[in-house]
Amino acid sequence: MTVSVESRASKQAKKVALWLATFLLMLVMCVPGLWVVLSAFRPNREILAKPPVWVPEELSLVNFGKIFGFGAEQVGIPVGSYFTNSLIIALTSTVMALIIGVAGGYSFARYRFRFKGGIFLGLMLFRAVPGIALSLPVFMMWSRLGLVDTKLGLIIVYVSLNVPFTIWLIDGFFRQIPQALSEAAQVDGCTRWQAFWKIEFPLAKSGIAAAGVFAFLTSWNEFALASQLTRSTDSKTLPVGLLDFTAQFTIDWAGMCAMAVIIIIPALILTFIVQKHLIAGLTFGGVKG
Amino acid sequence: MAEITLEKVVKKYGAVGVVHGIDLSIAHQEFVVLVGPSGCGKSTTLRMIAGLEDITGGLVKIGGQVVNDLPPRKRNISMVFQNYALYPHMNVRDNLGFGLKIAGQSPAEITKRVNEAADILGLAPLLDRTPAELSGGQRQRVAMGRAIVRNPDAFLFDEPLSNLDAKLRGQMRAEIKKLHQKVKTTVVYVTHDQVEAMTLADRIVVMKDGHIEQVGTPMEVFNHPLSTFVATFIGSPPMNLLPGLIEGSTVRLADGTGVPVPDRLKQFVRDGMAVQLGIRPDDISPVGHGLSQDGPGAEVALTVDLAEPLGMESLIYTRLAGQEVQAKLYGPRIVQPGEVLTFRLALDRAHLFDAATGKSVRVQ
Amino acid sequence: MIRALTTRRTEMAPFLLLLPAIATMLFVVALPLVFSLWTSLTPYKLTKPDTLYDFIWFRNYTRIFGDWDFWEAFLRTIAFLTVAINLEFALGLGIALLINKITWGQRTLRTIMMFPMMFSPILVGFQFKFLFNDHIGVVNNALQSLGLTDQAIPWLVDANLAMFSITLAEVWMSTSVFAILLLAGLFAMPRDPLEAARVDGCNPWQVFRHITLPFLMPFAYIAMAIRSLDVARAYDLVAVMTDGGPAGRTELLWTLIARTGYDEAKMGQANAMAYISTILSVLFTWHFYRKLVAARRYMGGAE
Repeated sequence: MTVSVESRASKQAKKVALWLATFLLMLVMCVPGLWVVLSAFRPNREILAKPPVWVPEELSLVNFGKIFGFGAEQVGIPVGSYFTNSLIIALTSTVMALIIGVAGGYSFARYRFRFKGGIFLGLMLFRAVPGIALSLPVFMMWSRLGLVDTKLGLIIVYVSLNVPFTIWLIDGFFRQIPQALSEAAQVDGCTRWQAFWKIEFPLAKSGIAAAGVFAFLTSWNEFALASQLTRSTDSKTLPVGLLDFTAQFTIDWAGMCAMAVIIIIPALILTFIVQKHLIAGLTFGGVKG
Repeated sequence: MAEITLEKVVKKYGAVGVVHGIDLSIAHQEFVVLVGPSGCGKSTTLRMIAGLEDITGGLVKIGGQVVNDLPPRKRNISMVFQNYALYPHMNVRDNLGFGLKIAGQSPAEITKRVNEAADILGLAPLLDRTPAELSGGQRQRVAMGRAIVRNPDAFLFDEPLSNLDAKLRGQMRAEIKKLHQKVKTTVVYVTHDQVEAMTLADRIVVMKDGHIEQVGTPMEVFNHPLSTFVATFIGSPPMNLLPGLIEGSTVRLADGTGVPVPDRLKQFVRDGMAVQLGIRPDDISPVGHGLSQDGPGAEVALTVDLAEPLGMESLIYTRLAGQEVQAKLYGPRIVQPGEVLTFRLALDRAHLFDAATGKSVRVQ
Repeated sequence: MIRALTTRRTEMAPFLLLLPAIATMLFVVALPLVFSLWTSLTPYKLTKPDTLYDFIWFRNYTRIFGDWDFWEAFLRTIAFLTVAINLEFALGLGIALLINKITWGQRTLRTIMMFPMMFSPILVGFQFKFLFNDHIGVVNNALQSLGLTDQAIPWLVDANLAMFSITLAEVWMSTSVFAILLLAGLFAMPRDPLEAARVDGCNPWQVFRHITLPFLMPFAYIAMAIRSLDVARAYDLVAVMTDGGPAGRTELLWTLIARTGYDEAKMGQANAMAYISTILSVLFTWHFYRKLVAARRYMGGAE
């Protein structure tokens, strides 16, 4: 009698401890970001208040307006330009990386050929070059080619930044599609090319989309190369913009928080959509769901 | 005319040979089964016929035309894969019609042919479902439907029943046979299951280690195996093999027991030859409980080790010449372990194989 | 004739498919790396462009290796990475084990776990810069109002505290990589060996050490390989939070490179340092990539 009561109580205690630990964990994960997001919607004086005002008394979009240049207090950060630059650069480099990545990923997934391991390793090792280290020679080369402070210059660099990982993911996704499907289609009358477009590609679509999201976010969030290859609002991206104004002596914290929110939102949305596929691709389908 | 001919067909992966020169002629409308253990090269051979594997050496001809360099879609064949390979993102109707669509047939023609195939295979109520919503047997039928819809010169089956449970397998076997009777197209069928081979084939091709061991009708292969491999592979429970030496017109077994050399084989043996005596369990039965009591026979008293009653027959484990041997008892009699019974060996159904080569003594 | 053509075309197909990828990497990475090596052998300064063709061979490197500032940054970087990655692994493992035991809402938890991975490192740096600011940062604010201290703690100014803050930010950002992949591993683990071990008399710790952990190692290697590709992301963090300061107290290898190359325009020297950091990164990645390939075979992905 006593034994079972004890074990039930200790089981309860364990469960409570588990939930507590998880709660704390989630808190640590979310609170820093949430604090920034919250601050973006509050006027400067609330943010700077001592003791800290936990529950917001006033919520507004003033800060957002400010940084875009609307409203009474114009700060004049060209956030609009940064945003469009980031968007164009990230989208273009993602699309190109996907095209290159689908071709490369397919070749790794479906063919056996010499140097296969070596080429894959090479791609990975190229990716390992630190951004700032790469930025030095690229800057020198790009200045000779007239690509500094252009969106194109950054796009080209980002494509190469994304290609290795995109290939890795897409390779994994194609491997999850049985080769027999392509063979059946070829027996049914397709050329290999047709079989790819009608059968393998539609089935890999969601995986390719996930790889695309990952590439987009990599480009969207990149800083080291962008900081050196851009000079003006012709090409500066959001991360560079954030640093520029955070490095000032007097910082408009509220405005910066608003800018941070703008940078975060796409990331959060896309992450949520894509999380399951990413894991499947990374572990080559070794895990379900 | 859709005969399929293989002439000295070889398949190598790099330096590793998998198929070592096969010659085979398959007649128009014939149902040929390639059977053998895993790794014998039967699937590889099938895939070479289909065009899914490159042919390292030799020629493959379909309908008289050499197809070595033709891609699958130009060979006018259909294939049913082991895992069905149904297109998961299409419903049954689209799966069936896919090949026709690629070939550019009109929608009216496609609908007509798809419905015909669906009727033959009982798929009409399933046309709007996706493969994920089908049972194993239904998927199997869709795979077959996809094959017949295109009216090919030949059907190729790659172990289509391996993924089904035993009962379903039996049903599908019958369906495939009925289909062949109806649609009368050349079939090349690969399996490792000798029961499927026996029941479905017009001719069986027994393969081992990349070679053809024997080709013949099921009855030929069963009654006149050309090697110990074929003898033990075909037929269940497998044939008993007992080592012995020829002494005049007797086969002297390991423990000295003498068994007369069957008349029909006398001309093929010499004194002193080392042989294996092969006799199926069906052909060793207690006197009075066997299939036939006429014809040449030899009688020997044996002790029953174990009896497995199967209803109207029992499988008996006993020892002959120091070796475990299986025998069959026909009839409802229950036999106890330890009983000593007189067994009759049907000599006209016994075989002799060369002990060194494993080949039947008739083939020297 | 036809036979030879088709065979050769099929053999070429994978290489043709890989051509764009290889071409891109050669042009944007390999070529610059060669250029970088060249530059590191010269006293090139952006302000004196002709110095690009003077060859001083390895003088840049010997100068660097004799420079105490360089060693400080270098060792600080190594220490930082070692501490951070070990912490990330340990915490990631703990988190994975924790979430594995929760039966409800796992998908939401997993999604929340992925967020830190998806933030721009600049964002993470900004976030912690905001939180840790000595005057208006919420951390000091909270500590002071709760009465735990009466002074503003210089999170980003004091040498040790600043490194601590940066390490905290880095761990916060990247623990998820380990947590997610190890969690995936835990999901994939077959239950039978665990039960067999318990029946055989193992206590929970032994079950973990002998059954769970070996099974998880491939996933850990995948995480390490992924981590190693992006180790230099920490540069973004430091650039925002302290930019190597104040007074070089948080100078890491990468901020030193940026400062030398861009602020001081000493390109030759900067490229030499960059080359050293590149070689390190590449070695690091190669080591874990080999472990990853072994893991891939283990997971059943065929070559």
